[in-house]
Amino acid sequence: MEAKYDFERKYREQILQCSRCGFCQSVCPVYGATLRPALNARGKMLLLKEVMDGKIELGKELIDSLFQCTTCASCANNCPSGVNVPEIIKQVRKDMVNIGSCHPAFAGMNEVLQKSTNIYAEDELPDFDRKRDQKAAYVYFIGCVGAYREDEATEGALDLLDRLSVDYTLISEVCCSGVLEDVGYSLNPKLASQNLERIFATGAKTVITGCPYCYRTFTHRQEYDELRKRGITVLHISQFLKDLDFGVTTDKKVTYHDPCDLGRHCGIYEEPRATIRKIAPDFVEMQHHHADSLCCGAGGGVRGAYAKNSLAMARRRLKEAEDTGAEILLTECNSCVHNLANAKLRKQNIKIYNTTAFINELMTKKVRNK
Amino acid sequence: MEIQGYTLPDELYYEENHYWVKEEGDLLVMGMDDFAQKMAGEIVFVQLPEEGKELTAGKKFAKIESGKWLGKVFAPVNGELAAVNEELETNPGLINSDCYGKGWIYKIKPSDKGEVANLIHGKEAVEKWVLAEIEKYAKE
Repeated sequence: MEAKYDFERKYREQILQCSRCGFCQSVCPVYGATLRPALNARGKMLLLKEVMDGKIELGKELIDSLFQCTTCASCANNCPSGVNVPEIIKQVRKDMVNIGSCHPAFAGMNEVLQKSTNIYAEDELPDFDRKRDQKAAYVYFIGCVGAYREDEATEGALDLLDRLSVDYTLISEVCCSGVLEDVGYSLNPKLASQNLERIFATGAKTVITGCPYCYRTFTHRQEYDELRKRGITVLHISQFLKDLDFGVTTDKKVTYHDPCDLGRHCGIYEEPRATIRKIAPDFVEMQHHHADSLCCGAGGGVRGAYAKNSLAMARRRLKEAEDTGAEILLTECNSCVHNLANAKLRKQNIKIYNTTAFINELMTKKVRNK
Repeated sequence: MEIQGYTLPDELYYEENHYWVKEEGDLLVMGMDDFAQKMAGEIVFVQLPEEGKELTAGKKFAKIESGKWLGKVFAPVNGELAAVNEELETNPGLINSDCYGKGWIYKIKPSDKGEVANLIHGKEAVEKWVLAEIEKYAKE
């Protein structure tokens, strides 16, 4: 019988490879927050097998399972059968969009990125009191969350670049739109072209991204191939900073949250730690770290569509951070900062920073104390 | 008072970004009005700054977020933050379910209580303002 959907055509074998062992259950952030087996990777694979067998229809009743996945890849990382669940989920979502069974928040995100330049449909890109679109050696690409939601983190990153005398410029950036691939749609090539034109106009040979997802999009998506063809290097800011010396340290206990987009999806684990060890001699790992890190719950469109569960995932991660006894929780992703900070309760004393903003704060204090 | 499906109690004072204010002893209680909570949709996060924070009338002092909307909260009067509704930390949806009751957000100790007179108040003024707001947002 011919496959009805693309997910089956592409991933039938993988779905059948799921041995239902349940290793994914213990690491799935959605399961951890909801304790619902239908929502972990195994549950999703079982549902898809039923669809392939013609026992259930791919339709609106499956939205809350198949759209409630942060695509954090923790399941894939722990799957002994090698099932790449996030890729399967992304394809299923596209199939569901094609048959008109999409979560309204995901459909809204696509609608916004067909009309607007950013995921929040904000009218004006903040300039952070800096000139944009200048000639420079580096472009600093902020990303939507950093530009429109975590302005203090972005100010910290930009101030740090200024302190380090980096020859950079901001550009009139638009959303990289990579997220659309996760939520059932396709990257918007018009937005990609605008970013490319603006990067090329600066003459920069390196793009530094503040956002792990933008880094992932620029380095992995064909719509941004022209960057590679022109010999333009793309770095996440943690890679850019790893060899630099800041001349400051903190005596506070510090821990680090690996963003899924930087860690599991791009394999960048040691660069952020190299920097943190320089500035924080009392650095401790959480129970789950590196490839086993727990997701903060913000990815895959889940923060927008399932905010309560997304924040519950962030609270689990914060608990792990607190259990280390750390006073400072650092991460390298504005989206993680946003979700973790939103989830933090007033009685919790741990402070959450993007590493760049934290270094900048230490350097600011050092200057003031002189 | 009911204006085109939005409830706006007559006795309250309104700040132009759709936050209501009412007197409670020496303090002012503040929350989001029905128009704003309906426009925003499900509220998912309310920033609750530390008590004692100084507030300057018209200046931003907190953020409120629904799924894809970020609202800034502006101080309706000069003063300091006296209390916050901690229930909103884990149940921000109270703003949607009961915006004038259990969904209150902040209590403010005003420098001069008389400053509430600068806010929108009274049936006629509120009606005129809300009708203009409905028209404004209908165009967007």
